[in-house]
Amino acid sequence: MATDLSVVRQPIETANGLSNDHYIDPVVFEEERQAVLFNSWSGLATAAEVPELGDAKPVEFLGVPLLLMRGKDNVVRVFQNTCRHRGMILVSEPKKIEGAIRCPYHSWCYSHKGALVSTPHVGGAGHNTHENIDRDTLGLTEIPSYIWRDIVFVNISGDADPFEVVHAELLERWKEFDSPHYHGGADSTFTLPVKTNWKLAVENYCESYHLPWIHPGLNSYSRLEDHYNINQYGRFSGQGTYVYRQLTNDAGDVFPDFPGLSEKWNTGAEYITVYPNVLLGAQRDHGFAIILEPTALDETKEHVHLYYASQDTDDELRAKNTVQWREVFEEDVFVVEGMQKGRHAPHFDGGRFSPAMDAPTHCFHDWVASRIQIHREQQQAKSQAAE
Amino acid sequence: MSRDLEDQILEAHAQHDQMSLVTLYQKAGRIAEQDGDIDAACFFWTHAYVFALEQAHPARDDLHARLVTYGRET
Repeated sequence: MATDLSVVRQPIETANGLSNDHYIDPVVFEEERQAVLFNSWSGLATAAEVPELGDAKPVEFLGVPLLLMRGKDNVVRVFQNTCRHRGMILVSEPKKIEGAIRCPYHSWCYSHKGALVSTPHVGGAGHNTHENIDRDTLGLTEIPSYIWRDIVFVNISGDADPFEVVHAELLERWKEFDSPHYHGGADSTFTLPVKTNWKLAVENYCESYHLPWIHPGLNSYSRLEDHYNINQYGRFSGQGTYVYRQLTNDAGDVFPDFPGLSEKWNTGAEYITVYPNVLLGAQRDHGFAIILEPTALDETKEHVHLYYASQDTDDELRAKNTVQWREVFEEDVFVVEGMQKGRHAPHFDGGRFSPAMDAPTHCFHDWVASRIQIHREQQQAKSQAAE
Repeated sequence: MSRDLEDQILEAHAQHDQMSLVTLYQKAGRIAEQDGDIDAACFFWTHAYVFALEQAHPARDDLHARLVTYGRET
């Protein structure tokens, strides 16, 4: 039976959160997979994962085999990682594609842009054409993608509005940060596997209410009252601080700032979720992204990446920064795992929000509920049309 | 195809040595063409062409042209 979303979509003063089923029921997980993750612009990977021309990396997203590829034209594209012939997986491990992508089964070949360029023996031995095999219509299936702040977003269903339209307000809000963001490299990325539904990681990230209890170290200089809520209903949510403090090394050095920032960012910073699954941090001297990869109903991989304004940053300071953020994000693990366990309590009703503190979380629940409602309406219309 | 060439091709396959496979299949195609067996020649050149495409091997344009000449490629 479909879950009741009406209580979620009430004003925060009277709303409840998403019910337990949204965290523990495989049927609802399957519904959300389509309605929330495939029908939206989900974070898949970083462009930094394919740094050189011809780099190809197979990536799975909720069971969908995808291929992240930087073409010879330096454009990063995402393809379905399957041959148009027999659906064979094309690339099974990260590699450099020197020329064509050759299917390991019958050797159909595709260009870096996905065009089908060779169909060996398709018309019989030594005959490589056939009147019924129209190569122009049999290129690789490209998944719509958009890169922002080095994050590769994909719309698996292919029918979402353009990324720039969906996220226009957020792009405008952070346009001062449009200068290049350089990935810090191997020492600036790590993955935290957590036993929780992916949404709980979003919910925890969005709000500052938990900071004094879960991150007392952060709260010593960035107190709860120094934060503000960010809630753009139907769009995005998160939190901001007025007292961002730069990391220094023993010599007092700091990371270089992103160029052209206004005074507001001298001590300000913002932490926003790009719905559905990308958690971003914007600060004067570095940014970060956490791509949430839902690997099961109750399992998520948090892929963390740190970015800087320069390709040439101090190794020691960068390492210190990675350690600092890792500690912060690890402090959240028991919380998101604890909430996941809590979702098995049969009398939990989705929870009551603090109207003062929890608006970013309610904003996310409201968005999830709206996406599911739209999906259900579309499914219903399809069923009626089929009758 | 000679036993020696066949062995070399099998060894190159075993080693996943695509660059050598281009050269060896090219050679096999030329021998078949000299013997007047165009179907066999195009079979081998097709293999050479596919591996050349994969590796961006400089012989790919020549192989493509040969296959086009015999109506086996567009």
